[in-house]
Amino acid sequence: MQMNDSQRIPASREEVWAALNDPAVLKQCIPGCQSLEVTAPNEMTATVIFKVGPVKATFSGKVILSDLDPPNSYRISGEGSGGVAGFAKGGALVRLESESADVTVLHYDVDAQIGGKLAQLGARLINSTATKLAGEFFKSFAGVVSAKAEAG
Amino acid sequence: MNDLTPTREQRSAALEGMGCKRKRVEDIRFTQGKGNYVDDVKLPGMLHGDFVRSPHPHARVKKIDDSEALKVPGVLAVITAETLKTVNLAWMPTLAGDVQMVLADGKVLFQNQEVAFVVATDRYAADDGINKVIVEYEPLPPLVDPFKSMDKDAPVLREDLAGKTSGAHGPRKHHNHIFEWSVGDKELTDAAFKKAEVTIKEMISYHRTHPSPLETCQCVCSFDKIKGELTIYGTFQAPHVIRTVVSLIAKLPEQKIHVIAPDIGGGFGNKVGAYPGYICAAVASIVTGKPVKWVEDRIENLTATSFARDYHMTTEIAASKDGKVTGLRVHVLADHGAFDACADPSKWPAGFFNIVTGSYDFPTAHLAVDGVYTNKAPGGVAYRCSFRVTEAAYCIERAMDILAQKLNMDPAELRLKNFIKPEQFPYHSALGWEYDSGDYHTAMRKMMETTGYAALRKEQAEKRAAFKRGETREIMGLGVSFFTEIVGAGPSKNCDILGIAMFDSCEIRMHPTGAGIARMGTKSQGQGHETTWAQIIATEIGIPADNIMVEEGNTDTAPYGLGTYGSRSTPVAGAAIAMAARKIKAKAQMIAAYKLEVHEDDLEFDIDGFRVKGLPEKFMSMKDICWAAYNSVPPGMEPGLEAVSYYDPPNMTYPFGAYLCVMDIDVDTGVYKVRRFYALDDCGTRINPMIIEGQVHGGLTEAFAIAMGQEIRYDDTGNVVTGSFMDFFMPTAVETPHWETDFTVTPSPHHPIGAKGVGESPNVGGVPAFSNAVNDAFSFLGSTHIQMPHDFWRNWRAAKDLGAVA
Repeated sequence: MQMNDSQRIPASREEVWAALNDPAVLKQCIPGCQSLEVTAPNEMTATVIFKVGPVKATFSGKVILSDLDPPNSYRISGEGSGGVAGFAKGGALVRLESESADVTVLHYDVDAQIGGKLAQLGARLINSTATKLAGEFFKSFAGVVSAKAEAG
Repeated sequence: MNDLTPTREQRSAALEGMGCKRKRVEDIRFTQGKGNYVDDVKLPGMLHGDFVRSPHPHARVKKIDDSEALKVPGVLAVITAETLKTVNLAWMPTLAGDVQMVLADGKVLFQNQEVAFVVATDRYAADDGINKVIVEYEPLPPLVDPFKSMDKDAPVLREDLAGKTSGAHGPRKHHNHIFEWSVGDKELTDAAFKKAEVTIKEMISYHRTHPSPLETCQCVCSFDKIKGELTIYGTFQAPHVIRTVVSLIAKLPEQKIHVIAPDIGGGFGNKVGAYPGYICAAVASIVTGKPVKWVEDRIENLTATSFARDYHMTTEIAASKDGKVTGLRVHVLADHGAFDACADPSKWPAGFFNIVTGSYDFPTAHLAVDGVYTNKAPGGVAYRCSFRVTEAAYCIERAMDILAQKLNMDPAELRLKNFIKPEQFPYHSALGWEYDSGDYHTAMRKMMETTGYAALRKEQAEKRAAFKRGETREIMGLGVSFFTEIVGAGPSKNCDILGIAMFDSCEIRMHPTGAGIARMGTKSQGQGHETTWAQIIATEIGIPADNIMVEEGNTDTAPYGLGTYGSRSTPVAGAAIAMAARKIKAKAQMIAAYKLEVHEDDLEFDIDGFRVKGLPEKFMSMKDICWAAYNSVPPGMEPGLEAVSYYDPPNMTYPFGAYLCVMDIDVDTGVYKVRRFYALDDCGTRINPMIIEGQVHGGLTEAFAIAMGQEIRYDDTGNVVTGSFMDFFMPTAVETPHWETDFTVTPSPHHPIGAKGVGESPNVGGVPAFSNAVNDAFSFLGSTHIQMPHDFWRNWRAAKDLGAVA
């Protein structure tokens, strides 16, 4: 499954970049995120409750940031297991572009794969669910970042 | 005699014998919800088992941690491959000469493969336990596309076969290769193609699908430690085979294994094989000393127990310009999944696919089949067909239409031109079969006349012209199919399962009052054996069918038989019934002769008893003979009236039929309407026309499902994406078209009552009729072949690809 889109954020590129590297912000914005802990530089473990159609499961797994090019781009990738519900793995290339001094356009290019019961039962729902979740993430991310920028 | 004496017609009708539309006796309990299925079996102290399954299609199993699962209230045990190794049961033999993991041993090879078996006091606790078993996997690259299975760099699936250059069916040419099977004269066929005036070539795929009986596979195993006896209640199409297999692999003496198949809610081939669930439930019962039940859920059934088809058939026909076929060449790539658990007679790795010459007089043919491993569920069962006959019929019937299109000939005319002629029977086919009997021209012409075929073609031509003028967006297709099946496996000279010849059996025991019981080696899953078997006996010995009880499915009481699948029950067991009945009749004749004080040869059988020739008033009914058999037999004769017959058929039987599907498709939406479906079947002697009609309705409905949408589909990463009835097409009364049935009767010359079998004909002949209708509809837009299944979306896409939709 692949999807790409972009989100316009009313904050400077540096502010957006900082937020993208802030586990607290990520935790706040990832839909269903129960915990997110830094285990090593650019490495985190996360627990996320994920629901697709009739399948709901708690996924736990690793999140890794790589190909860091501050404050322009990075790759965020992860994989998690939801026990009998299956597994998910994937990543996103995130790229920032300054539209002006205080407006940044965030481009994302996601490539994800799911397996197990999640894929069997949720196949027809997965694309719409993923698009919805990505939308939710970046919407709340834009909200958090612009609030921070305003406060800052 | 007086006016109250029944006429011969009345006496005959009272028997409800062969030819009578006798109502199904089993339906009395089924329609009242009083059937007794495996899930109705509830034994004291019974435990429940369920599987932890792999979410990965291909992965190494690094670790299985059951410590948390064992803390779940009600969970008693978690069985893994390591547990099974202690009793040497981590792997089991398959019917195809391969071996299969019972539980994942170091590796998983398909999604939903069985990894661990959780045993608990109830199903809920077992499910909770499954959620707590932590399995650590290391994913490996999955192999999904069979066409890539023999690539040089294809992943190695079966590490257990490392270094094995030959398998159960000869040499292996690649680490993912299972067998190559070829038959026919290659040189002669190649020569026919060299000098052919016209040839066609097409890769015709018959997609992977699933028999999907409404009742899933299930069992209850109960081990009695004191007696050392194992009782297995299960959804078994072949109970005796299960008993023998269990005895061989569990090393239990066969007399201490009791296999009972109670009522079965549909089988369609899905319930022939032996599955890990059976082994695990048996081991769990031996370990815990309690009965253990295992019941598959729908997803498990669709994704783990035997699939069907998955044949990719590159088909070539050579012909003359005027449409006479001169040669057939077929290569099949057969996707068998992770283990070769194909259910075929042992010597036939591609079943009876060499019936692929169909109803046509091909002077020469050559067939080669390559079986390969992929990361998919194992199986390859005969889903309402006789061992790959559906694939063969689809292959040749589609190819004949493609040839007709190339020659610009009518598909029905092309068939009529190439049919085997009535006087050619018994007919020896180029690929080695001896067709017993047939009259194809009569059946085809009857179909064409009854349906008004010529008028339909005329209407189609007008609609095509109107479509081209832009006056309609609907296209019309006529799907012609003329199939020849090969059923009734089978003669011991070429059919066995694990070395056991594929005979079948019947034991008849008559009681003093003129009633009796017939015990069979077969097992009905809905076919109505309790009704039809009694009808054969009624006609053969003159006792009303209502007085005969038919019993199947208990290996302790039934004579050994190979079970019910591949339309073999009537051709094989039906013959055994007639032969056993004739033994009864022969003894009855001796008793009657003694009682009527004449010589046996002076008696003739007359509907329901014996009459002295020329002295019509001297008559003894079979009912009275039954009584006499228990109190006044001739001196020196043993009392009693019973017989057993084990029937080894001299040949297969070859039912055939002519089908027509009339379909309209809206090119803008892809939505199709089956306007008309006509099915003419010739199954030889007809035992119960009502049951035949029911069989044809059911088989056509399954054929409709398969051709028009039913599919087990995997995505590129090995996920099954049609694992529930939400995505797997299961037609209901809403989608199912109206069926018109018809028949001709060409008895089998070698069968005691001339019957050929019918249960699977409609599936075999139906799929090509539907697919040919869709292909015929699109052909004038320039297409030669569109792969099944033909669901709305694919129809729309076909229209789009052909430029009919913007």
